Amino acid sequence: MSEESILTDEFLRQLINVGEADILVGVPTYNNAATIGHVVQTIRAGLLKYFPRERAVIVNADGGSRDQTRDLVRGASINDLQVSGDIHALRTLHSISSQYLGEPATGTALRTILASAELLRASACAVVSPDSTTIEPDWIERLLRPVYQGTYDFVTPLYRRHKFDGLLIRNLVYPMTRAFYCKRVKEPYASEFAFSGQLGNHFLGQEIWTHEAGRTGTEISLTISAITGGFRLAQTFLGAKPHLDARSADLVAAMRQTVGALFWSLEPNFQLWSTHADSQNIPTLSPGQEVTLEPLRINRKRLLGMFHSGVAELEPVLKQILSPPIISELQRIAALGEDEFSYGDELWARTVYEFAASYHKSVISRDHIVQALAPLYRGRAFTFLVENRESSGEEIEQNVENFCLTCERLKPSLVELWNGRK
Amino acid sequence: MREMIVNELSPATQELIREFARFLPRLLVMLIVVLVGWVIAYLVKWILRSILRLVKFDKLSEGAGAAQLLNKAALPSSTELVSRFAFWLAWLGFVLLGISALGILGMQEYVTRFFVFLPRLIVAVFFLFFGLLAASFFSRAALLWAVNTDMPSPRLLSSSVRILITIFTASAVFEELGLADSTMLLAFAIVMGAVMLGLAIAFGIGGQHLARRFLEARFAPEKKEAKDREDELSPL
Amino acid sequence: MASIQDVLWYKDAIIYQVHVRTFFDTNGDGIGDFRGLAQKLDYLQELGVNALWLMPFFPSPLRDDGYDIADYTSVHPNYGNLDDFNLFLQAAHERGIRVIVEMVLNHTSDQHPWFQESRSSPDNPRRDWYVWSDTDTKYKGVRIIFVDTELSNWAWDPVSKAYYWHRFFSHQPDLNYDNPAVREEMWKVMQFWLELGVDGFRLDAVPYLVEREGTSCENLPETHAVLKELRGKLDKYFPGKMLLAEANQWPADLRAYFGDGDEFHMAFHFPLMPRMFMGLKLEDRKPITEILKQTPQIPSPCQWCLFLRNHDELTLEMVTDMERDYMYDQYARDRHMRINVGIRRRLAPLLDNDRRRIELMNGMLMSLPGTPIIYYGDEIGMGDNIYLGDRNGVRTPMQWDGGWNGGFSAADPESLYSPLMLNPVYGYQAVNVQSQKRFDHSLLSWMKRIVKVRKSTPVFGRGSIDFLYPENHRILAYVRQLEKETILVVNNVSSTAQAVELDLRRFKGNILIEMFGRNIFPRVGDIPYLLTLGPYQFYWFRLRRI
Repeated sequence: MSEESILTDEFLRQLINVGEADILVGVPTYNNAATIGHVVQTIRAGLLKYFPRERAVIVNADGGSRDQTRDLVRGASINDLQVSGDIHALRTLHSISSQYLGEPATGTALRTILASAELLRASACAVVSPDSTTIEPDWIERLLRPVYQGTYDFVTPLYRRHKFDGLLIRNLVYPMTRAFYCKRVKEPYASEFAFSGQLGNHFLGQEIWTHEAGRTGTEISLTISAITGGFRLAQTFLGAKPHLDARSADLVAAMRQTVGALFWSLEPNFQLWSTHADSQNIPTLSPGQEVTLEPLRINRKRLLGMFHSGVAELEPVLKQILSPPIISELQRIAALGEDEFSYGDELWARTVYEFAASYHKSVISRDHIVQALAPLYRGRAFTFLVENRESSGEEIEQNVENFCLTCERLKPSLVELWNGRK
Repeated sequence: MREMIVNELSPATQELIREFARFLPRLLVMLIVVLVGWVIAYLVKWILRSILRLVKFDKLSEGAGAAQLLNKAALPSSTELVSRFAFWLAWLGFVLLGISALGILGMQEYVTRFFVFLPRLIVAVFFLFFGLLAASFFSRAALLWAVNTDMPSPRLLSSSVRILITIFTASAVFEELGLADSTMLLAFAIVMGAVMLGLAIAFGIGGQHLARRFLEARFAPEKKEAKDREDELSPL
Repeated sequence: MASIQDVLWYKDAIIYQVHVRTFFDTNGDGIGDFRGLAQKLDYLQELGVNALWLMPFFPSPLRDDGYDIADYTSVHPNYGNLDDFNLFLQAAHERGIRVIVEMVLNHTSDQHPWFQESRSSPDNPRRDWYVWSDTDTKYKGVRIIFVDTELSNWAWDPVSKAYYWHRFFSHQPDLNYDNPAVREEMWKVMQFWLELGVDGFRLDAVPYLVEREGTSCENLPETHAVLKELRGKLDKYFPGKMLLAEANQWPADLRAYFGDGDEFHMAFHFPLMPRMFMGLKLEDRKPITEILKQTPQIPSPCQWCLFLRNHDELTLEMVTDMERDYMYDQYARDRHMRINVGIRRRLAPLLDNDRRRIELMNGMLMSLPGTPIIYYGDEIGMGDNIYLGDRNGVRTPMQWDGGWNGGFSAADPESLYSPLMLNPVYGYQAVNVQSQKRFDHSLLSWMKRIVKVRKSTPVFGRGSIDFLYPENHRILAYVRQLEKETILVVNNVSSTAQAVELDLRRFKGNILIEMFGRNIFPRVGDIPYLLTLGPYQFYWFRLRRI
């Protein structure tokens, strides 16, 4: 009975003061003073405009920011102590902030937000990323209304982004999540999403919190948990996805958070994903234009170069992970020139599946397996960029769709690999 | 004539028999000790094997690359190897105990030295195992990092890491075993020193550009030239 | 219907005690019947109860409210027939409500054919079915139960010119359980009802089955042997059915009725009940904690049955003389309220119709270890009529609405089996189901809520109990635990606001969540936990570690 609580006494006191809430918006932060002010003001505006009668609270789970992040959050409260002429609110709006214990990690922040949602018995909750510089007040409405009305349990976002933004999601995370769990959730790794109180309690009761996957790959784990728990899913168009800085462009970290967590989730859910067949659409609420076509300069050569170097230098490692036919195929395309190079759908799908099987068997350290996939992914990204250089939004969508269907078709091969029948 | 032979031989034979009779109990003790030792050694092997199976020792040694090594040498799996090693060690110990029970002088000393040596041998084996494990893990980690951050010659880096750790392990093992430790220590110091010096020179002279690029990427990202500038794209 | 395999269903049950006669009359004869009871099952389902205990409904001269049975395998024509009973049983099961039938084993009516035969001649094959004697000196010294009406346990039968033994009224001769034929026949009777589908029996007056010279004739080993035999047959042929013992005894004697899990499944905790009322008047938890401390451990499949009031008088047999005097002074100043060794009043009048006290008593009923029983009418706070004879004052018709006969029957008011309550405080126009249904703050609505919270966790029915002894003796606090779930119950048994500091150190790190409103209270730390309670207020906290 000596588990450390994730809630500090000070935070608990703030929760007691809030009492009960209908709507909860959680914001995980770590040194986000540059953007958090705007984000929190927008959330507040959204709550005031779209949920004026409801009891709402903004909960900030902070990892120990040394800038003014927490003060900026608290400044968004509306109560009877301060009188502002331009803001008209029926109710007190709490905006509470607390530093969670342990080192900064999204997983711990999300867990703190989920615990708050349970204790405050919130019926509709949303999580908003502190980096959302493009957030609008109506994002609050679009995310929370379907959940608050009781129509859906989990709402994921759709963004307007450049056609080449989010390549990892398009080429790996979305197709694989869809193939395994049979739901077409376009943004399984969402920085903004909404969930019902019931689903929140379900999340809180999961096993992931004690594992590494719970600390780094939480967003994906939550999506998968919502799917496997049989909850009602939907996705809604929000707006433009903000450009992130170079820090978050680190591919290996991104892969750990997405692919690592995805592979990890395959173990406990084996029964589920090995038997299901075709994927299903989930309802799309308030559709919008998802793809923009502004011109962009991208250094494709570097991607291809890193693919080459990966296949060559990582050969001993890849030999432990992949089967000989796949390796020889990879070496064959590595030998092709830049103009003929193509990392096709089928080969890429098979590669990923073999990685998943090797991850399951822990042929080498699991983290190393995820890292080893990164250079191969770069080759795939290169192919995607080249083939879709001139494509329109619809054409790209179609190509992604084709790839998804390929993944679904090849899923039985993973089931075979999984059980060791190579 | 025959009588004479018999007469001569009989006291000698009797003496022999008497000696043998005196020796017999000790021989019996030795045989019992050896037999009991065999049983205990077998138990030790069985228990150790169960424990190792429980902690999935095979998996661990696969990670160390030991499994592949053993496979190549057509040796059985690590669990099996360790268990058998433990068995032979234990039984050898009992055999030596038995021999010492025989009361043959000179043997005692060797037996004692063996038992003193035994714990250090076990520790050395542990060092070796974990050292190899670490070498394999870190060399691979270095390889992956180098490939993913687009460093030149990743294999070289990876091998260097492996060699360094292996050498360090070897010297620790030798020191533990007390075998030519001062020589090994000296050799290790010389090699390490040479490698370090070489690296410093190479880095200082040849690696300037690499160093500059590295430092720039870390601390001054805006200083890229307009020509090379990429639009920021997030994989997510 | 809950899983048939759940043989411990009685641990999670909320029992509603009712007499068919009192509930609802469909054929206009002024007497409630089975069809009426069936019609009101929806009301019971809404209340949240999941088991019904029916008082005796067998053919009977009704000189002891049906406890004098003249035919064990039929239904008194006043209440309908066996078909009506079967339809009712089926309807109850459809709503997830189990039915427990009362079975009087110890004695029959003197109008029962068996007794008629038994008394007819000494050679009659059923002679030995009852306890006959030529003199009334046998079993000297055995106490009389109905002290207000009987002078002896023997009665002279002019027909057979001999005395017969009766522990209760003289028209209720005791059956002779030394006779195997009697035991066999009584099993057949139980079997009859089990085959129809009833879920269990409340066995009336079980301590008195067997008599032996030189003893108190109560709780004898031979009695236990008879009961174990019955239970054995029950387990063999009808697993999952339940036996509930009515044995008004001290806790140590009560223990024997559970055997080693091979006798009764449940027994009433008679000694606790008066002490709850006593604790309230004394404003001291001592009577309650003491009796529960003295309560022996029972085998794990067994369960106590808790109740506040029932159809009988509030019995003061199992208290000391000093306690009895105190109870009479506090609760039954008017001698009319006393009968036998008890007080014949309903819950609401006993508690001066004080809503807070009624809630507190129900709160304790629902949170102490055992299966709770709600006496019909107490969920709306019905009153009593102490001027009706015997214990009929607490058996008046159920009050459904403010209209004709309180909605109980369409017959003439004069023809009802019992007069209705008419006074302005407890009369049917003031206290009835329909008006209380409409309001969230009525006693009925509150009862539904507390039943719902009670049913939301198995801890109350199945968990252990651990008393906390805060220095403030007006606070009764205990912890219920089952596996990983922990619930803290704090009751203020005094009429004034109280502050109490509880030592919760072993629960350090837990957040307290109040179970009715689900609001969070501060986390348990190292210092004593301060709580304040209004008069007669209670808290149920779930302990949660996040």
